[in-house]
Amino acid sequence: MARTTMTGPDIVARGLANNRLGVPSVVFFGVAGAAPLTVILGSISTIYAVVGNTAVPLVYFVAALILSLFTVGFVAMSRHIVNSGAFYSYISHGLGRMIGVAAAFIALPAYAAMQIGLLGLFGVVAQSILAASGIAVSWFVCSVVGWLLVAILGVLWVDLSGKVLAVLLTVEIAIVLIYDFVMLAHPHGGRADFGSLNPVQLATPEVVAMLVLAIAGFVGFEATVVLSEEAKDPKKTIGRATHWAVLLPGLLCGVSAFAMSSNSGDIVGAARDDTTNLVFNLVTPYVPEALVNIGYILFLTSVFAAMLAFHTSVTRYQFALGRERVLPRVYGSAHPRTGAPIAGSVTQSVIALIVLILYFVTKTDPLVHLFAWMTVAGGLGVLILMWATSAAVVGFFLRDRRRENVWRARIAPLLAFLLLTFVLLATVIGLGDLLQVDDDSPFNWLFSTIYALCALFGIGWAAIMRGSRPDAYAGIGRGTEGFVAAESVFGRPTRPHRVTADVAHHAA
Amino acid sequence: MLANSYYLIAHDDRTGRTRLHPRATGLGLAAGLLGELMLFGRLRAMTGDLYVVSHEPPGDSLCHTLLDLLVAQPQHKEIRTWLAYLSQDAADQVGERLLRAGVVEPVTKRKLLSAQTLYMPVNPDQRNAAAWESIRLAEALGRRRSMNLSDRVLVALVVATGLTRYVFFSPQQQRDCMQAMPGILSSLPDDLVQLVQYTEAAVGSALAAGRR
Repeated sequence: MARTTMTGPDIVARGLANNRLGVPSVVFFGVAGAAPLTVILGSISTIYAVVGNTAVPLVYFVAALILSLFTVGFVAMSRHIVNSGAFYSYISHGLGRMIGVAAAFIALPAYAAMQIGLLGLFGVVAQSILAASGIAVSWFVCSVVGWLLVAILGVLWVDLSGKVLAVLLTVEIAIVLIYDFVMLAHPHGGRADFGSLNPVQLATPEVVAMLVLAIAGFVGFEATVVLSEEAKDPKKTIGRATHWAVLLPGLLCGVSAFAMSSNSGDIVGAARDDTTNLVFNLVTPYVPEALVNIGYILFLTSVFAAMLAFHTSVTRYQFALGRERVLPRVYGSAHPRTGAPIAGSVTQSVIALIVLILYFVTKTDPLVHLFAWMTVAGGLGVLILMWATSAAVVGFFLRDRRRENVWRARIAPLLAFLLLTFVLLATVIGLGDLLQVDDDSPFNWLFSTIYALCALFGIGWAAIMRGSRPDAYAGIGRGTEGFVAAESVFGRPTRPHRVTADVAHHAA
Repeated sequence: MLANSYYLIAHDDRTGRTRLHPRATGLGLAAGLLGELMLFGRLRAMTGDLYVVSHEPPGDSLCHTLLDLLVAQPQHKEIRTWLAYLSQDAADQVGERLLRAGVVEPVTKRKLLSAQTLYMPVNPDQRNAAAWESIRLAEALGRRRSMNLSDRVLVALVVATGLTRYVFFSPQQQRDCMQAMPGILSSLPDDLVQLVQYTEAAVGSALAAGRR
């Protein structure tokens, strides 16, 4: 870290910064993972259709607000952790390693479910595009083609490069803005209706539970802190980028949801009829046909980018856990030439294919029961992760404020924690309503129970590790650099050399 | 020279391409250069930080340049910072040093839009010398011959960056190598142990980020 008294130009810092990411790149990386077009065209119309409530725009704004509050403490904490990895490393720092492992075991199925759910959406969208051009294929064939592409790219570890993502994302945002403008300019009945933004709706438990669906649209912002090692100035760049990665999708999704409902008189009915074609059908009367066709193609690429991003996050989680010896060692080894974590990538692909085949054989609806249900289940997992992370931030700063001000270290984290607790409780209670199942259906409690079991398993696993492999246990959540070579390829180092995980003294 | 040997092991002797992810190769070479300064007794490592202990110029020009840089930038001490910084152009720096030593020759490969200069062994003598680097290590380890300090660090760096299977071809050799590792590591001075451990960690981080 740079000292304040400098003698000459800082050659090293400049040399490092040249090759590193600035705020826009990190934001693109985070937001592209959340794929705003996928959320707007896929999720929002599905939420309107499945939940049948018109409070969607409000829900997105409130979710963005809560997550902004959460980000304040989250970013403050990231300044004090070396090699800040994904959420679970924050949790293991703030709440202890056992809870950290439990969180990791929740994160894995959550992200896996998200990715598999998106495969269903990809299949449906590709099917409808092909059908429009006169080719009739089953959604299953389209999904499997998407699956195959992701599986191959995953093994080759081809991350869509920052530039490709940036171009796609910019075009996506542009087209969303055009659609929004068109829809807002032609409100139903000639008058804009702001009823869907009425905050009174928040008093109903169903609307609070819908927050989980909205939060599923923000998952990408976890990815920004993963890049802290790659950022020009880890302290500033990541903080700003994370805030942008929350605000940008929040505003876009909220405005779009509002535009949809104001353009269509009966948004719920329209959503049920048109499903993912909703927005396209709404704007078709007002824009040239080419613009709609471009929208369809971008929708498909956006879903694909999101699938790949989630595939990458699952494998990255497995890789990190494998390196820390929480998962079997094979998950921590990468292909030497490409750096691809093969084991994790193949595992995720195999699970995804099995689920796809199950859905096809049982003839279950790919849009409602694969895409909507899986992403709701995944969203619940991510919400649990965020909730635990917000608790970790509170716990972390409770021990020592580390020269952060009261707002960042105390008030914002506590508020975020309370709000997320509220949302989580409402979600667990109201999950059945979100999935539109009967009161006596096992799906009312199934997903919550699975996550609870995963968490318990994680805690048990951590306890076993503490007893049998204390070296590896000490390295949990410390990232690849925090505890150098806890149990590396060299076996136990003869002189375990521990690097302090707390860099408060550097953070001035 | 540590970094020279590492370079020859880390690059394919026929195509000149790096055998590892380019960032991993860069980190291994950076560690090789810092390791040379440690072997020369100019540099020490303590709790993850580097300290220059002697300003006396080393005999090699690249080492000399690096030592000057370390002296000129005292605000940066962390091993990981220096590994990250040096890894960016270590391949070219060491490649040019090998060129000056006559071990490799520059070969320009053109792709569609870009041209890349690779430093690779061209004639049979150069190829033999390049291949000898890995054979030498495998032989010494297989016959349990005692290795000098530089070679022990080299083996540790090879294993830390993931080049093991390019030096030890058979699974039996690889198992032997893994068994010998703790002994080799405990025979190294603490400074070099830290260097190796930080290199391994940095390679892991670079691969996890998945950027080129």
